[in-house]
Amino acid sequence: MNYTFQFGVVFAQLPYLLGGALLTLEVAFLSFWLGAVIGLFGALGKMYGGRAIRWLINAYVVFFTNTPALVQIFFLFYALPDVGVLLTPMTAVVIGMTLNSGAYLTDILRAGILSVRREEIETAQVLGMSGPQMVRFVILPHIAKTIYAPLSNFFIWLVLGSSMAAIFGVEELTGRAINISTQNLRTIETFAVIAVIYIALTFIASIALALVGRWAFRVRARIF
Amino acid sequence: MWDRIVQEAPDFFTYYNAIFVLQAMGRTLGLTVIGCVTGFIFGFAIAAIRSTRARALLPLRLLVTLYVEIFRRIPFLVILFIVMFGIQAVSRGISLFAIALISICMVSTAFMSEIIRAGMESVPKMQREAAEAMNFGFMRTLLLIILPQAWKVILPPGFAFMVMFIKDTALVSQMGVVELAFTGKMFVGRGFSPFLVYGTVLAGYFVMSYPLSRLGAYLENRLATSRSRESIQRVWTGPGPVQSEPVGEQG
Repeated sequence: MNYTFQFGVVFAQLPYLLGGALLTLEVAFLSFWLGAVIGLFGALGKMYGGRAIRWLINAYVVFFTNTPALVQIFFLFYALPDVGVLLTPMTAVVIGMTLNSGAYLTDILRAGILSVRREEIETAQVLGMSGPQMVRFVILPHIAKTIYAPLSNFFIWLVLGSSMAAIFGVEELTGRAINISTQNLRTIETFAVIAVIYIALTFIASIALALVGRWAFRVRARIF
Repeated sequence: MWDRIVQEAPDFFTYYNAIFVLQAMGRTLGLTVIGCVTGFIFGFAIAAIRSTRARALLPLRLLVTLYVEIFRRIPFLVILFIVMFGIQAVSRGISLFAIALISICMVSTAFMSEIIRAGMESVPKMQREAAEAMNFGFMRTLLLIILPQAWKVILPPGFAFMVMFIKDTALVSQMGVVELAFTGKMFVGRGFSPFLVYGTVLAGYFVMSYPLSRLGAYLENRLATSRSRESIQRVWTGPGPVQSEPVGEQG
């Protein structure tokens, strides 16, 4: 093998790649927060809903956590035009990843809500706390502390998972790397560079999330 | 849409198509199982190396930690691309399936080692020190003290990881390995309704991963110790099921 590495052509495109990294974060953010809304309603419905609602949410969670997000997005992207719904690649990816993360977040949030015990609420009542006070000082800190670590892990997983948007032609980090590598034919170098960008991205996210967790909820999250 | 599905269904659900899909499912399962078993073996080695404390092994520990951190932070798709083009720069004779398998093993090693390490760390440090005081060697401590207690903590997230990996192998279809997600592309290319095709593919994945995730959940309930939950929550290995745990009990 005589392969000469040439990183110069890739470094010349660094600003373009970093723009893609922003889009990656955008996809992850969107699907995280939209998924969190679904997850919140899902968790509440699973705990307090009637039988039909619980069954429905359960079916949703089981289906979406047991099938690949990639095929779900394929389905949205290729099958829905048959019934007259045309999605752009970006919306298809965000909708697919939102539905997917909603299913996972339903479970995570439910675990958090379940972790608040009745005794704690009773104690707060004995201490004469009002409803909003109880939520602010007892329930929310407790839930936050329980689910903060799984949530931040999940966000990082979403950052990595958003790379599959490239398959549908969304020009995020991986997509832009594919664009560049088809131009300069330096595939190994290009993908090595974006691998480093992904590592940096998730490291920064990990550290930032750990710091925020420590500051706001006194969670001892570990980065390594 | 419905009449199209009904009209195409007899052409779609034929004997040879069924065999084709089943073979593809077998390939998906094969990739997952081989990947997870290899990942378990190498991951175990990595976890064992990381549990040592000898100063002479420090460079090895650092190297192994670096490997784990790097491979857990790069998307699987990017790893696939790098491995594929890296290997093809060296030799052309390797099949796509082998390339996919190599990258899967590399990724699953990293994740499995974290799961196993969390399991090993769930055993209290005092026991390790007690074993040391009784002049147990490294292997004896590992096999007689740590593993008998750690496997309960390792197994449930191990299954959760395997379920995740069945789904992640779908990305392999992008480089042309004929596994379940690829059959979807192929059937759509032959002009079948995407509803029918991707519905079938989704059902295929569901059939494979649902029993496994049930088994994982069962093991989790069956084997759960108070120790296992806190230690698993400290590492992340993708979105697994989170057990509800009263925080107050930790003191």
